[in-house]
Parts: sequence; structure tokens; C-alpha cells
Amino acid sequence: MSLEILGDVLRLTVLAGLGAAGVLAVLIWKRNLATRVTFLRFVIQLVAFAAIFYIFSYSALIPMLYELIVLFALTIFLGRFFCGWLCPLGLILDIETLARRALKIRHRILPDKLNIALHKGRYLIALVFLLTPVILWMLDPQEIMVSPLMAKLLAGHYRPYGILLDPMIPFIVPWSNTATLNVVGVNFSYPYAQNIITFTGTEIGVIFAVAFVATTLVGGFLVRRVWCRFCPTGCSIASVNQFKRLGSVPLLHIDKDEEKCTKCGVCKRVCPLQVNEVYDQKGGKIKTSQCMLCARCVEMCPYEGTLKLKLGSKTVFKSRNWLKPSNIE
Amino acid sequence: MKNETVERKFLPEMPRKEIDELKNTVKTASQKIMADNIERMKKADPHRPEAMKYFDEMADLFGKRPKEIAAEKEKGKKVIGYFCLFAPTELILAADAIPVRVNSGWYDTSKLGDRVVPVEVCPVIRSTIGAKMIELSPFLEQSDALISVLTCDGMTKLSEILSDVKTIWGMNVPRIKDSTQSLRFWSDEVRHMKTQIEQFTGNKITRKKLKEAVEATHRATKAFRRLQDLRKGNPVIMGRDAMLVNQTFLWDDKQRWTEKTEALCDALDKRVQRKDWVCPPETPRVMVTGTPMFWPDNWKLPTLVEEGNPQGVIVADEQCSGERVLNDPVGVDEWSMDDMLNAISERYLMASTCPCFTSKDGNEDRINWLLNKVKEWKIQGVIYYVVRGCMLYAMEYTRVKKTLDKINVPVYYLDTEYTREDVGQMKTRVEAFLEMLNARIDM
Repeated sequence: MSLEILGDVLRLTVLAGLGAAGVLAVLIWKRNLATRVTFLRFVIQLVAFAAIFYIFSYSALIPMLYELIVLFALTIFLGRFFCGWLCPLGLILDIETLARRALKIRHRILPDKLNIALHKGRYLIALVFLLTPVILWMLDPQEIMVSPLMAKLLAGHYRPYGILLDPMIPFIVPWSNTATLNVVGVNFSYPYAQNIITFTGTEIGVIFAVAFVATTLVGGFLVRRVWCRFCPTGCSIASVNQFKRLGSVPLLHIDKDEEKCTKCGVCKRVCPLQVNEVYDQKGGKIKTSQCMLCARCVEMCPYEGTLKLKLGSKTVFKSRNWLKPSNIE
Repeated sequence: MKNETVERKFLPEMPRKEIDELKNTVKTASQKIMADNIERMKKADPHRPEAMKYFDEMADLFGKRPKEIAAEKEKGKKVIGYFCLFAPTELILAADAIPVRVNSGWYDTSKLGDRVVPVEVCPVIRSTIGAKMIELSPFLEQSDALISVLTCDGMTKLSEILSDVKTIWGMNVPRIKDSTQSLRFWSDEVRHMKTQIEQFTGNKITRKKLKEAVEATHRATKAFRRLQDLRKGNPVIMGRDAMLVNQTFLWDDKQRWTEKTEALCDALDKRVQRKDWVCPPETPRVMVTGTPMFWPDNWKLPTLVEEGNPQGVIVADEQCSGERVLNDPVGVDEWSMDDMLNAISERYLMASTCPCFTSKDGNEDRINWLLNKVKEWKIQGVIYYVVRGCMLYAMEYTRVKKTLDKINVPVYYLDTEYTREDVGQMKTRVEAFLEMLNARIDM
């Protein structure tokens, strides 16, 4: 018992340390000591990755609910900040991008129409994701007999909210199940792999899961952040920003100064999600739920003060009189 | 080199003797004008930084730089000239060739150009044709090939006329700049130009070389922007000096230019600390926009403004011979060949504020540029400079005037020619405008 408490304390210490590191990183950034926001984002992603891993090491289920609460709290204030800066799956995709850059392979871009179709159709995709477990559960009559409907929905095999939160399961997890891969004592997991196996049965499920993992990894290697364009989590975060009444939501947003912009098109080309609004919109607050606020456009914009990452009315980070593009990324 | 026996379609056959005679006359006159211009610039600013000496030397079109280029040429380097700023100089640099801009600013040669094209044509074009006829411009003579971007009508036919005697590579620029298909077309043109340059120079443009060229240009942009930022505050450099610095980039060695400009900025920084202004801080701050002004002869407007009574100071311009040269850097996302070429094509097409473009909102980028300059550089009056025959700039005047009227900044439309005859009349006009600006400031 005392050992368990000790373990908890230890975990909390690590978490607090990671949090402090994150705060430090933000401070470095705000004082403009870090020159590259992409680098800083990478650090914060790693910190978040570790933090989520530690939250999960308590147990697999309850943290999911915690995460859900934290996620929606972030949603209300920060828009899709989570997607760009904290999401573990996003980190995996970014690491892939780094690898691709190191190998000097050029990235493919999705045709604009397909990208917009994916963006607009992501609610439908999310609906499919959400309904599949419900339908499967209905087709599984034995389980209805055993426990009441709500309990099944929330805690059974087919957890719909789990579907929404799956991209948040980090690559490395502290537990082991049918979908985890144990390599030298470390359990590797991948979003949705477990769900696919649960839905289709263990034998075929493994094949499906491997195919799914391979497809998304290859896709993410060739196309920047391909998953994020229709991610159910991203779309559920963004849906809160859709209310027109809440004009100030999301608090964190990209702001454009029309007069300083020469429409050079850099923002459009460097955007990992191929968001066109930053380029197209005339000025002011960029209104799109596609943007994940990674601030790559702000970083690369060559005109001082044209693009700004704003929190409310306070400028957090603005485009500089840009001098030297990054070498490594 | 083209075969001389081929029949010329445009240019007249002139006897050798006449060419040499005319060339020597114009050259002597031009050298005098250049020396005079520089002398006046020196006089205008008693504390002119030492660092400007280098640019004075570079400004001599028959002096050090043509000799340097000739020496490089003997070593086997190719020289590629260009008319419009759309020519992707990074590609030329990456192929170990020397990019030079060959537009002519000589007044006298424009009279010669009249033999080929009518007087109604833009004098920049006529003057360039004339300079070629008497083989005046060293850079134009030295260039092994010319990149001609078909922007305005003049440029389009100029390339055709000069193709009598030079290898010309045309680049077709789309007129609507913010559409995807335009960009696709233009980036194809850029890629084609890359192959052409590679074949011509025999040097392959590798990823590494192109990256170096892009980074060298970035460094130049950095120095350039530093200079322009210094002009935001109280005047520490005469507008003419800064314009000359910007213009020398067009033919200078890029790396050396960057170093010298940084040195100049260091000197100016010290000047700011000493509060040693070139003219009283309340001098009207003027911006020049419109047709490009080419060194050496077409220097009359800046001279008139800065030597006028009352005096004005040019703190910004929007000309493709001035601040547009280096304003926009190539924004490379990933250092792969493909992305670099995309970045280069976007930089040249989309960031440009040339009036040959239109878009959904018309040429709005130019309007935004002007508004931004007026606000950031605290401009008190704008001189809209147009040479007769420059249709595109002339036609955009109304819109510019309307926009600037809204923010209560006076604009003055000044039309002129490649001639010295109207200097007296222009002086009166410019001084009246400056008088009005002074009155506004006093109020």
C-alpha cells in the first residue's frame, strides 16, 4: 500500500517536472529567446507526450475521462491548439515529416478539392466512427442481456467516446493488450488498432489493424499531417468553435494584417494542413476550424507583424522580419 | 552569339564608324553626368558615410564592375542579363553565372531608339534599344543571354527587337496572379528556365548550389531590409544614396554587396546615436512610386526633390528599380529541389506588385504596399512618377489617388520623358508640391 502511494508521488513529481519544463519552454518563447517556433512546438509535443504517458500509467480507463474534460476545457479557450501542440498522434506524424525531410523526399499535396471535401466531410467521418461501435454492439445481443445500455456504452468494449479520444493514446503505452506490441519491455500501441481488433475479431482484426497502421503511417510520411485533416478528435474540438455567437472563441487564433501582406503565398505553401484561409482571407481573425494553430505560417511569414498568433487581444507570437529559414526541419 | 549574317528584322545596320563615334560621345557625356550626380549627392550630405564610397565606385557603369565581369567571363563564367525583376536570379547564381539587369537609363540613347520604334513607346524601351544599337551598355554587351519576362507591352516587343543580335529567353508571365492555374503555369516556366540555364552554362543546378544561392539572396535581403528600416526614423541617409545602394545590387557581386551594405548600416546606426540627421527632421518625407528610375541619367526627380527649395527627403519608394528588388525573400519550407523551385516561382509571381498584374481585387497588393509604407515610414506626400508611354502605371493612378485620399496623404502625378529639357519645369512643379507639404506640416 505504502509502495503504491510512493509510486503515485513519484509519478506526480515527474508530471510536475514535465509541467515546469513546459512552462519554461513557454517563457523562453515569450521572451523571444527561442528563434524557431517549430522547434519549440516539438519540445512541447514531447513534454505532452510524456505527460499523457504518465496519466495513462494510473489506469487505462479513468484518465480517458479526465482527458476528455481537459480536452474540452482547452477547446473552449484555445481552439485546435491541442492538435498542433499536444496530440501524440500529431507528434508521430511530425516525426515522420522530420524523417522525410532528412531523406530529402518531397511531400505530396492533396488536391485542394479533396482536402476541402475531407474537411467538410469530417463530421460524416466522425459519425461513422461513432456509430460503428453502437451498431456493432447492437449486433451483439448477448451483451445487451448482461448489463444496462448506458453502462455498456460507457464502459464496455465499444466505447464511443473512446473512439473520439483514440488519437490521444500515445505511441508508447504502459499497458498491454491484444493490440499492443511488446518490444524489449516497452508496449507500443497505435490509435484505433485496439478498436479494429475488438470490432472484427482477433484473427482478421490483426490483419486489418496492421493494414490500417501501415496505411496511415505511409500516408503521413508522404502527405504532411494527413490524419489531422479528418480526425474525429480534431473535428469534435473544432465543433465548439463553430458557434457564431461566441465571437471571441477560440481565444487563441491567427490574426492577419492586410496592409502588410503582399500575398506572397508562403503561408499557403508551408501549412501542413493546406489551409487556404490564411492566404485567402483579407485580414483580421482567421476564421477556420481547419487550422491547428501550429504557427508554421507565422514563423515563415517574411513580413514583420503581418501574421500574429493571438491569445484574446494579446499577441503571443508574430511574424518577424524574417531572416533565416530553418535548416533541419 | 548570333550569326551576324542573318537578316535583322528590326535593328538597322549601322556603319562601324558611326557606332563608335556615337558610343564615344554618349559615353563621355554619361561619365560626366555620373560624376556630377555623385558629386551632388556628396554635397547634399556633408557627413556622408565612408561606406558610400564603395557604392559610388560601383555606380560607375564604365568602371570597375564591367572589368570584373570581363575577367570572370575570361575564366569561363557566363553572364545572363535580364530586363524585369521576374527573372529568377537564384537559378542564375546557382548555375555559376552572373546575373545583371540591363535596362538602360541613358537619355541620349532614347533618341536613337526612335529610329526603330515610335516616340510613343516607353522611353525605357527606346533607350535600351538605342544602347544596344551603339553598343553602349557594358552589361548588355557582356551578357551571353537575356531573360526577358513578357510583363508590359514594351518588354514583350523589346525582347523581339533585341533577338536580332542576342540570345533571348522569353518567360511568359500570367496576368492574373492569384489563381492556382497561373501559378502552375509560371512554375512550369521557371522549371523550363532552369533547364535552359543548365544547358546554356553547362553547369547543373544541384540542390546544394541552389540552396546556397537562395541563402546568399536571403542575406542580401536581410541587409537590404536593415537599410530600409533605418529610413523609418529621422532621415540619416539621403534618399538618393539609398536608391543608389538598392540599384547597385542589380549588377554587383551579391556577397560583396551584402557586406558593404551591412557596413553602411553600421555607420548609419552610429549616426542615429549621434542624432546626426542629413536634413532637419521636419523636412517633408516623400515616397516615390511608379515607373522605374534607372541610373545614371534618369536621376532627375530624386535630385530635384532633395535639392529643391524647400527641400524634401525620399524615405521610401515602390519601384522595381528600387525597393522591390530585394523586398521579398524566397520562403523555403523544405530544402528539397521541388520545394525550392516552388518557393522561387511563388516569390517572383505572387509577391510582386508590378502593375502588369491584376487579380480578384485588382492589383491590391500594390495598394497595400503603398498604404503600409505610408504608415510605417510616416510618409507625408507621394510623388507618382510616370514616364510618357508607361501605360500600366499611368492607368493605376486613379485608384492609388483614391486610396491615398482616404487616408489624407497628398499624391502628385508627375509625368515626364527621358529628356533634360523639362528639368526647369519639373523643378517648379516639385517645389510647389514640397511647399504644399511644408504648409501641411506646419498646420
